Amino acid sequence: MLLNTDIKIDKAPFDHISFDLCSRRKDVMLMSADLSKYTQIVRVKKELSDQHLDVGMAEQNLISVAAGVSKAGYVPIATTFACYATRRAYDQMMICMGTGPNTSIVIGFTPGIANPARIHHQAAEDLGMIRAIPDATVIDPMDVTDFKQALDAAVDIPGLVYMRGHRGDTPILLNGQNFKFELGKTYPLREGKGVGIVATGHGTQWALEASVLLQSRGVDHSLLHVPTIKPVNETEISDYCFAHDEIVTIENHNIVTGLGSLITEIISNTGRGPRVTRLGIPDIWAPGGTLAYIRSQLALDAPALAEKIEAISNGE
Amino acid sequence: MENNAAVRISELELMAIKIRRNVLDICMQRGGYAGQGVALADIAACLYFDEMRTDNNNWYHDRFVLSNGHDAIMTYGALAEQGSYSMEDLRTYNADGTKIDQSPIEGQLGFEITAGSLGQGPSQAAGIAYAERLKGSDKRIYCLFSDGELQEGNVWEAAMFAGHQKLSNLVYIIDNNDLQATGATKDVLGVEPVPEKFEAFGFAAKRINGNSVKEILAAFREARNTTDKPFVMVCDTSLFAGVDCLQAELPNAHYVAKASADWQAGLKELEHKLNIHALN
Repeated sequence: MLLNTDIKIDKAPFDHISFDLCSRRKDVMLMSADLSKYTQIVRVKKELSDQHLDVGMAEQNLISVAAGVSKAGYVPIATTFACYATRRAYDQMMICMGTGPNTSIVIGFTPGIANPARIHHQAAEDLGMIRAIPDATVIDPMDVTDFKQALDAAVDIPGLVYMRGHRGDTPILLNGQNFKFELGKTYPLREGKGVGIVATGHGTQWALEASVLLQSRGVDHSLLHVPTIKPVNETEISDYCFAHDEIVTIENHNIVTGLGSLITEIISNTGRGPRVTRLGIPDIWAPGGTLAYIRSQLALDAPALAEKIEAISNGE
Repeated sequence: MENNAAVRISELELMAIKIRRNVLDICMQRGGYAGQGVALADIAACLYFDEMRTDNNNWYHDRFVLSNGHDAIMTYGALAEQGSYSMEDLRTYNADGTKIDQSPIEGQLGFEITAGSLGQGPSQAAGIAYAERLKGSDKRIYCLFSDGELQEGNVWEAAMFAGHQKLSNLVYIIDNNDLQATGATKDVLGVEPVPEKFEAFGFAAKRINGNSVKEILAAFREARNTTDKPFVMVCDTSLFAGVDCLQAELPNAHYVAKASADWQAGLKELEHKLNIHALN
């Protein structure tokens, strides 16, 4: 499932992902709120201009116009930064998109600490907010392959679909030949018996980096990638978790309400289970800066993650 | 020709009386937004029985988007006459477990959006209008919202978008009754001058008496003839307009928790008006 070759970097994944989708699906309408340049929508805007609509710097309007577009036979994909989609237009997502049957997709770019511009641009709570909307779909893809396939699937999912988007240098980690995104499916990326790592989105990238260090130190572990936050596959996740004594969750999200919270909810529903350690953005205002800097400040860089997981593995 | 127009106006005025009667009947048991429903009866009669075109399935070719969910009572009163709802069902309005919601959810017959979180209808209607135009449809999109709703920023984002896109297939209908939940709109947060504000956003605007069938029809006609920009009808109305006894008793009743003693008098007043129409 994982590519074994040197990791390739895609500098502008959404440009070709959106162009490919819009070329195949003429009913898709890509929508922006004055951030098309920063979500890397170039070719659709230039070559398929009928399939791109910019509503200006107005996120409530972005979401509610998109909902209207969905009611006239199109599949809208509303794109903006995750912080604006959720914080500025949560009610519109819930009411205008979330209560009807028509497919309405929102992609939140630069989620969590992927945005360098501090807390006003860092949505560390988007996954938790949207998963609290009944019937919503929430997806946090880990790389270019996952992102592309998840979006291809999303255009046929009824109702509100919220996805996190990747922009800029994004690794291609999954082998598109044998990875197949299915809504709700979880993906084992490392097999082992020690600490069970459950991760999503950027968190899965970080977990893979830590995994390399753990392997070199002989720390037994496994890794499960969970791209679908909702509807969550409780059976696959509980089966995985109950096969381990220690679970560590890793996410580019506040450790409150995100993947870690979700895993503890599933385990507590089931009964006695493993200890769960939630790693992610702590419940504090994160700093700004490069992603590498912010990760190091929050102990989310590979050495810090590996050290923490090794300590857990040693019973600390 | 003038005679035909006068007959048409008379027919729609008769329909408006029936809608008013339905609204009072629906709210008889458990109250509701009766004042708005009665006040909007003339607009409803013109919209549902003259302006919007129907298709072969006896449903509407054009699309109506209700933004302020409370005014659903207007739609119920009209669609009872159109035949899509029975009065028996509508009388469960406001009852536990009813399917006749005070503020309906998307998918209920006659309601294109989940109406109730104010300010979201104008944008959704603009989105529908944009997409219908893009696919070459001739559908016209009508969206009703209220003057108090103009305090929501989302409305002005929608207006800016609709004006910029020159959505001439879009008509906003504003129930301008100078009343919101906690008082007169002009006292809570004034919204006037409404037509001028929309004109500044690229609309053609017309202020009319929202209880004059003649003026409403003329405004709809003007909207149809406006081919380069969206249109807004600022309809001055007052609660319970058309039912004198209730208008005098409940001029500021944003919500009626229980039908008053004058309710029967109001129904009698409407029956009397219906009889006069029948004689004419």
